[in-house]
Amino acid sequence: MPHAPFIIASFAVTGVCMTWLVVSSYLSMRRAEASAAELKDRP
Amino acid sequence: MKPKHQRLLLAVIAVAALVGAGLIAASALREEASYFYTPTTLASANVEPGKAIRLGGMVQKGSIVRGSDGVSITFTVQDQERSQKVAYRGITPDLFVEGSGVVADGRLRPDRVFVADSLLAKHDENYVPRELADIDMSAAAHTKDTLVP
Amino acid sequence: MHRFANPARFLRIARPLTPALFLLGLILTLAACIWGLFFTPTERLMGDTVKIIFVHVPAAWLGMGGWTGIAIASIVQLVWRHPLAGVSARAIAVPGATFAAICLITGSIWGRPTWGTWWVWDGRLTSMLVLFFLYLGYIALSNASSDKGDTSRVAAVFGIIGAINIPIINRSVIWWESQHQKASITLGGSSIDSAYLVPLFVAVVGFSLLFGALVLMRMRAALAEMRIEARMRRMAEG
Repeated sequence: MPHAPFIIASFAVTGVCMTWLVVSSYLSMRRAEASAAELKDRP
Repeated sequence: MKPKHQRLLLAVIAVAALVGAGLIAASALREEASYFYTPTTLASANVEPGKAIRLGGMVQKGSIVRGSDGVSITFTVQDQERSQKVAYRGITPDLFVEGSGVVADGRLRPDRVFVADSLLAKHDENYVPRELADIDMSAAAHTKDTLVP
Repeated sequence: MHRFANPARFLRIARPLTPALFLLGLILTLAACIWGLFFTPTERLMGDTVKIIFVHVPAAWLGMGGWTGIAIASIVQLVWRHPLAGVSARAIAVPGATFAAICLITGSIWGRPTWGTWWVWDGRLTSMLVLFFLYLGYIALSNASSDKGDTSRVAAVFGIIGAINIPIINRSVIWWESQHQKASITLGGSSIDSAYLVPLFVAVVGFSLLFGALVLMRMRAALAEMRIEARMRRMAEG
């Protein structure tokens, strides 16, 4: 049985999951902190 | 007692009860939750022939005999104390080699030979580069308790 | 205990710490993956599929470590009423669940060429799947309250009860005969050759730092949302 597809699939799954985690966490942090800062500046 | 200490005490009691319950449940499941019989547990379990069971252990060195038809093989599965003869027809997994682990689905024949319908390879906890395998496996200084030491 | 209770003080530390953890974690993780993929020898039985260890094992440990963190934070939340404890427990949940999922998926992919099957219902695989479902339950429970900043006590109790699964996962290969091999790395030592052990260690450190950065990001998001809600409430009242 060729091993390469299994190895590539494992690392690809990990890469996709990690990228999704980082991007979604970062965006939600940026969005929340930006709107909190904007609200604070409002009178 | 301050409320904080009350809560702490409650938490400690809850965690202790939880751990106790978990341990009791786990030890009660001891036999049932095992994925396979080893030759030793199979010998003492009184399994009647024909009942579908799973057998696991180490493929005894030098025990694999391939039939003349090319697909049927017999070999011996062993643990620390006992061994069990196994017959199988089919393609063996890549990792099925002597001295390595195997898990077989099948049933006992009346003559106490285990007839396997399928074989899964079982890797042990040792990770050794191929070029080191000869030296390292015989020395096996860091090999921990596998089914066969 | 309450030194970091003040969210402002926490944020002063978290703001510079987030990119630092993230960058260091990213560098170590990528280095370990490249090292593992291209510069590790073939294993005696498994061949090249041994390389999957560099994502499977860190994911498994962090999936379990995540729930341990949730349980500890939940105890701190219930006993000491530490204001950040509930926030941190909730911030761990999604990354922890993702790591548990990565562990299950890469393990399944690894199982096909080595064992000859994608999945078996042995003690280790089943208890790890249970951990993933516990995460889903925890996420559902902690999202059930409409208040973003609310750190529900039901979720905290669930986090503590669910922790019983962690020692079960750890002991499953010792208590019960299983398809999965016994632990290679214990407090007593390791049965992994250093050719794999060193990059594996780098990968574990790298993924752990990324995990820390992710938790900080999600905590900061939750704290900002709490500030927004408090502000909105005041504006609505005034």
